[in-house]
Amino acid sequence: MNLRFLGMKAFRTALTLWLVVTFVFVVLRTSGDPLVSLLPADSEPEVIAYYRTLWGLDRPLPVQYLRYMAAVFQGDFGISLRDTRPVIDLVTERVPATALLGLTALALALMVGVPLGILAAVRRNTLLDRLTMAFAVLGFAIPNFFLGILMILTFSLTLRWLPSSGTGTPWHLIMPACTLGLATAGALARFTRSSMLEVLRRPYMRTAQAKGVAPGGRILRHALPNAAIPVVTVLGFSLGGLIGGAIVTETVFAWPGVGRLLVSAVAARDLAVVQGLVLLIAATMVIANLVVDLLYGLLDPRIRVASVDA
Amino acid sequence: MRSFLGMALAVLTLALAPFGSALAQADTRPDLVIAVDNLWPTMEPVNGISTTGGRVHPSIYDTLLRRRFVGDPAGVEKEPMLATKVEQTAPTVWRVSLREGVTFHDGTTMTAEDVAFTLSSERLWGDRPMAPRGKTFARGFKRVEATGPLTVEIETTAPDPTVPDKLALMIAYVVPKAAYLRMGADQFGLRPIGTGPYRVVSFNSGDAIRLEAFDAYWGGRPPAKSLTFRIVPEFSARLAGLVSGEFDFIVLVPFDQRDVMRRYADVTLLDRQLENYPMFSFDTLPAPDGQPANPLVNADLRKAMVMAIDMDAITDALWGNATFTPSAPFNFPEYGPGYFDAARKGRYTRHDPAQARQLLQRSGYRGQELRWHIVRGFFPNYESAAEIMVEQWKQVGINVQMVVVENFDLAYRRPFHLLNMSMSSEFSGDPMRPLWIDWGPGSNRVAASHKTWVPTPKFLELGQAFEFENDPAKRKALYLQLVEEWETVTPAMYLWRTVVSYAHKKRYEWTSTSSEAMRFDAAHFKVAR
Repeated sequence: MNLRFLGMKAFRTALTLWLVVTFVFVVLRTSGDPLVSLLPADSEPEVIAYYRTLWGLDRPLPVQYLRYMAAVFQGDFGISLRDTRPVIDLVTERVPATALLGLTALALALMVGVPLGILAAVRRNTLLDRLTMAFAVLGFAIPNFFLGILMILTFSLTLRWLPSSGTGTPWHLIMPACTLGLATAGALARFTRSSMLEVLRRPYMRTAQAKGVAPGGRILRHALPNAAIPVVTVLGFSLGGLIGGAIVTETVFAWPGVGRLLVSAVAARDLAVVQGLVLLIAATMVIANLVVDLLYGLLDPRIRVASVDA
Repeated sequence: MRSFLGMALAVLTLALAPFGSALAQADTRPDLVIAVDNLWPTMEPVNGISTTGGRVHPSIYDTLLRRRFVGDPAGVEKEPMLATKVEQTAPTVWRVSLREGVTFHDGTTMTAEDVAFTLSSERLWGDRPMAPRGKTFARGFKRVEATGPLTVEIETTAPDPTVPDKLALMIAYVVPKAAYLRMGADQFGLRPIGTGPYRVVSFNSGDAIRLEAFDAYWGGRPPAKSLTFRIVPEFSARLAGLVSGEFDFIVLVPFDQRDVMRRYADVTLLDRQLENYPMFSFDTLPAPDGQPANPLVNADLRKAMVMAIDMDAITDALWGNATFTPSAPFNFPEYGPGYFDAARKGRYTRHDPAQARQLLQRSGYRGQELRWHIVRGFFPNYESAAEIMVEQWKQVGINVQMVVVENFDLAYRRPFHLLNMSMSSEFSGDPMRPLWIDWGPGSNRVAASHKTWVPTPKFLELGQAFEFENDPAKRKALYLQLVEEWETVTPAMYLWRTVVSYAHKKRYEWTSTSSEAMRFDAAHFKVAR
């Protein structure tokens, strides 16, 4: 891997994160007074003034920004105004739950979406193809919150098979992971199918067939690796979708992850927590895209060369 | 052989007797799971004053006195808790005698020093208090001192008849001084220690708080083995969990879902009126220079707006018989017969469109648009009521525009003419909070950026006299005069008394309170036979 290529990517990553942090900082500070949300509506002005001073919100905005950035560079993301605990502690407490949910949903999406896409391409224009595409469209179209509530009403309230919310056992993971993974599975199925259809028409596939390679081998060894680039792209995008979806899914299923923390922090205008979480999500997205870019290079050396030349 | 077997059996029976006894005494108390919409991040009882924190506090802590809700849904009377007696020894001095033999969850014994610290300036009302939100509730305190091992003296700046009422509030949840000072308020809020019937085992503010029975509780063995308050933000999940048996209690059943709840045979639905009244305030202040004149500076227009509304009909349409509209401002049943009079009517709180039109004509109002700032979904049914009210105002010629916004910060941004808010009637056992503290000179309705009125000199004079009046008859007379002066200005209008709905498994008997507090001690909770 070319060092110049990596250096350029790292610079762009840092620039993106700085822009995101600055944007969020300015928007949050200028969009209203956090004390109005954090303190009861009937708090006396004296109490409000006390907290404003205590939390440094009485200082000029540039001063607050410089202090915040200086702290961030030292790994200090501030103190939650609501929890009065370091943001880093609050976030790291929640990351494992979100990671478990997100990775399970991603694995589920991969296990369902890619095979379905391959099957649909290989059995093009059959009932299986049509059913697969119907599943893909449905997966895209159903909003997370609706699917989640539907699953709760079906599997918890009516059938009483699965716990309605919370964590603790693998059973608790099933409904949130299915809710979160369905849209990604649909997207993967659709992109895998179209990418496979294109590859299956290529001359080297006919050559492999002429050489007597078995159908399974042709698909897995010759077609799938060449069809992988669009699928990897979708996976990169889907990661963002999984984080965004986690905000809704975690709320519906009372899953104690970063998504729920973000919802409660935004509702309470807990500035430090919102900033910390946005930074985490942005970093996850940027790093995911970086990994996708690097994977492109690994999957197709022509892309690596073209990037460096550019 | 037979006698040998008999002897062996007898020996075996004797040997196993302790185990049998232990089995017989196995803890059969239920592990209760209460699904709540959220948890406040700190369980420090003052910094954590909130609906979501207040539900948990009574299980961890005890106050010095407590409002008695068993047998009296209004909770007018107070019962001794950690204080056995509260007596006024001088006009400004109160002596509190404490219960003996009370232990904290960490095993230390409660002393007068703990109680004095709980109410101290260092913790609540000094210049840099550890729990600054206590200032509002400890107003008027001048000295709090342990005068004996189980005696505390409270001195106030002026005679204050509401001191016993304050000792039943959240500022009087007693905390252990040494542990509190060692940990600091923030850490204490994460690992709280009280004298209550349950002690905290684990607390994750994003997930759940788990408490287990504190069997050394001074009030007797708690009726549940453990309590878990678990966050379940989505109502469907709370409902499913209750029906399927994952949860024993759920909170905040939406009003339009009550019929759904009633279909489940093993679920009890419980409506509870809280001590809170949604309302709107009129902006009675002149507009700043350069902005269009505010028509609502004219009291006749405000009174016309109140009389144009058929509030009883709206409340009935939206809530059925679950709640009511007060017949007069500050005429609240929770204050008992001393202040509440069901027959009393307000001067303007009646539906009289003809009178409203006369007042409107006198006001000189010319149909200018009046903006009503409303926070979306904050008060249940508020927007629905507002839509009806806007139509009723239109019928008498008043042009009100609803402006629904996402949060209070946006609602407070001027220009607005009407502003949604609520008024708590909980605090002091009489109308001092809603009438004087919430409308007096220190209130945010007078001093904050979104202030909406300036109290009249007569209101100020009456309010100061009311605050420090000890004689019940004179105090009531001052209350009525204060209400009359408030009505003369009419700076706001009440809608209804807030209602919340709980649901729980039918096998439990539970007494709710008129605040957010959920009590699970032996007096309030038991498993039905």
